[in-house]
Amino acid sequence: MGNELVDFALVSVALLGIGIYGLAVKRNFIRMLFAVEIVINAANLNLVAFARFLPHSGGQTLALFSIAIAAAEVAVGLSLIIVAYRMYRNVDVAEFRSLRG
Amino acid sequence: MIDPGSTPMIVVALLGTVGVALPLISVARGERGSNSFYAAISLGALAAAIGYVGYQAAAGNVAPGALLSADVVSDDAFGGFFAIAMLAVAIMTTAGSINYMRRMQHHAVYYSLILLSAIGMVLVAYSTDLVMLFVAWELMSIPTYVLAGFHKRNPSSNEAAIKYFLFGALASAVIIYGISIAYGLTGSTNIAEVVRGFAALDPSMVPLALLAAGLFIAGFGFKMGLVPFHMWLPDAYEGSPPPVAALLAAGTKKAGFAAALRVVVMGAVALNLDWTLALGIIAVMTMTVGNVAAIMQRNLARMLAYSSIGHAGYILIGLAVAPFSATGSTGAMFHVLNHAVMKGAAFIAVAGIVTTLAVTHLDKLKGLGRRMPITALGLTVSLLALAGVPPLNGFWSKLVLFGSAIDAGSASAAASWAPWLAVAGVLNSALSLAYYGWIIRKMYFEGEEEKRVRSEPRSVVAVMVFSMLFMVGFGVYPDPIIQFAEFAAPAFSAGAGIVP
Repeated sequence: MGNELVDFALVSVALLGIGIYGLAVKRNFIRMLFAVEIVINAANLNLVAFARFLPHSGGQTLALFSIAIAAAEVAVGLSLIIVAYRMYRNVDVAEFRSLRG
Repeated sequence: MIDPGSTPMIVVALLGTVGVALPLISVARGERGSNSFYAAISLGALAAAIGYVGYQAAAGNVAPGALLSADVVSDDAFGGFFAIAMLAVAIMTTAGSINYMRRMQHHAVYYSLILLSAIGMVLVAYSTDLVMLFVAWELMSIPTYVLAGFHKRNPSSNEAAIKYFLFGALASAVIIYGISIAYGLTGSTNIAEVVRGFAALDPSMVPLALLAAGLFIAGFGFKMGLVPFHMWLPDAYEGSPPPVAALLAAGTKKAGFAAALRVVVMGAVALNLDWTLALGIIAVMTMTVGNVAAIMQRNLARMLAYSSIGHAGYILIGLAVAPFSATGSTGAMFHVLNHAVMKGAAFIAVAGIVTTLAVTHLDKLKGLGRRMPITALGLTVSLLALAGVPPLNGFWSKLVLFGSAIDAGSASAAASWAPWLAVAGVLNSALSLAYYGWIIRKMYFEGEEEKRVRSEPRSVVAVMVFSMLFMVGFGVYPDPIIQFAEFAAPAFSAGAGIVP
């Protein structure tokens, strides 16, 4: 049973690494949004896995909250990029550079 | 169970009702309602909320200091102090937006988003449970992403919103990951339980607790603008509409400090770590990078953004020395309130200048003292207060902060490096006076040919008068705020009394 928890934790840490890598390397807004989502889901996996081995289900509740909030966040992010796409005809973050200094 | 009559619940019910009702009223009236009508409604709600919080604190109905309770929110003076600071910022932002918003659309939505974000900030300060903290954090953040990009046709507003959104979303992802680790280690999301669990942790698990604390510092640090995490901040503050920049710099940033005081400092005290030196180094880096970069700016909004990075460094001094000196957390909270008003006033002045003259470049500000006398005077007073010139409020909070660093150095051998924080702070304040003085010189001693007095936006003038009264009044007589900050400051010297 203990080993199972370690498996979950390893997958979660791997997802965290993938997410951070994606944010650091990719310049496409949609890809970066996916990377953030991967990090949030790594945390959700942690929460659900830990809740499995604890006597109460607080972690699963928090995971549900987190999923709902992440959805709201993605909605705002996508609407921002739609507005940007209308102006620039592009979703490449490296192209957005009117602010410098 | 949460007492439905407790301060945070009343404030949430009041602001939430009005915040949700505003867009509905707008739809019901066929989008015809006037700008000042919606602004008046939200100003009334915010004033009622700040009045209620202030009344509860003055009447002694709240517990002193920061409590850790089994509930998700606690009705304590710590939350009340931050709630007053952040509601004051929301009032200044709303009032300062009236003239700015006149030429734009969707007024009801704009004011409603400010109200919703204010609820989030207030709840962050009151929350004693990591689930509540996370939900409140997101409630505070998501409306500000929209507000930063509110200028839909303006590329730089949109760009600011996108950068702010990406870093903000990463910050929340990092925070929820930290929460998940803390939950796995201690089996609870209640901050009191987490702190107790950290104190009794098996030594082989301490590195994981350290990872959780580091993730919390990184997540909150993104909002606070601490130095390795600050790169989004100047772009976001420059590009977003100036009243929104006031809300970001003076409001959401302070909520980061509220969360950090409750979670990071307490957790680290429980872990019995020598984390203070790390925070001290971050503090010195933050204030130095902020002030040095501010000198090189030619845009007023961008310069103020870098200066707010520098001020995050000063406030962090208080957090770093909190376990060694009783005045550390007092000084941090005192400077949080003062900085909220000073920076809010400075950004609202920028909003007034943008509304009237449509410029933010420093060279275009020549002769502003003659063109817009009251706005220029308000900006001057707030810049001097930010620099910490004696008869103004910024001087006293810096005095308490730097004094606490010196106290800590003499009180504990483990903090023998702390007086250097005070030295760095004083040097940085002197450095900051250079660029603040430069702005003042541009406004008053250059551009003699500018004689034409422009009519200043009335709402901006009102905010300027209020904040000048605050800065000068509490500069001459700072005792009430210092007493309130002492009453509200969490006591965690040497780890005593934090675990209920």
